[in-house]
Amino acid sequence: MSQTITVEGDVNAVDTRTLLTGQGSVTAPSLVVPAGMTKIKQVILTAAADGLAAGEAVNFVRLGGNAVLGGEQVIVFGGEDSQTVQAGSDAAPSLGSLFILADADIDVRPSDTISIAGEYGGVDVGDMAFAVTLVYGK
Amino acid sequence: MNQRKVRKMSKLYRSREGQITAVDTKSQLATLGSESAPGPLLVPAGAKKLNAVIIAFATDQSVAADGSFFIRLEGPGLPGGPETLAFGSQGVAVATGGHGSRSAIRFPLDIPVTAANEILIFAENAGEDTGTETVGVTLEFLV
Repeated sequence: MSQTITVEGDVNAVDTRTLLTGQGSVTAPSLVVPAGMTKIKQVILTAAADGLAAGEAVNFVRLGGNAVLGGEQVIVFGGEDSQTVQAGSDAAPSLGSLFILADADIDVRPSDTISIAGEYGGVDVGDMAFAVTLVYGK
Repeated sequence: MNQRKVRKMSKLYRSREGQITAVDTKSQLATLGSESAPGPLLVPAGAKKLNAVIIAFATDQSVAADGSFFIRLEGPGLPGGPETLAFGSQGVAVATGGHGSRSAIRFPLDIPVTAANEILIFAENAGEDTGTETVGVTLEFLV
């Protein structure tokens, strides 16, 4: 048996730890690890940049809080880069990257709270939209 | 009675990122976004092996050139000596606007480690100078 939680949020500046606490139309989904769940079995990660600044950055997620038994786990999952487009030309599409860490095997304590933060390091590429799904299991 | 206690394995994830700014130059990845000085990346206590490496990168595409990229893992945390992993390449014909989006790649490995010792992570651009690259590396330890 498994259970999932998805959170999302905007990361608006480079080198800025940003808590992901929203879920679209749900403003504040519960971040309590469901009862009976002792592992994060999978981590599904995606991000896209608007490319309004010229730069290059790598994205990562921080999984922490009281529920994560091994301390904060930091996982890189993608890179976004952009050259600001010259006037009069069309911008190339920015396709979001998707990374699935299967068999993540991160120990967690059920009924305690997890924190999920998104961040990017490198050179500012503008705004980034992050979404993270955790698949809990035993 | 034939009873054996089976301990479930778990994994720990430690990451660093940094930039490559010149070709054929060993560049240490020693920062982590908002943490400008996270300190040495130590093999966690109880870690049995380096189970995988996850690598992501981005390039500013600022030079019309082509190059390849790889990382080096070094330090006393690796009793078998240094390791290298190629993880990508990049080339553009013109440097006048574009976006790139790349998913990370996970490389399954089976490399012995020494707990409480440091692993240093370096990234490098070979071939032609492709500009500036930001590289992120996660080490997945099995404990």
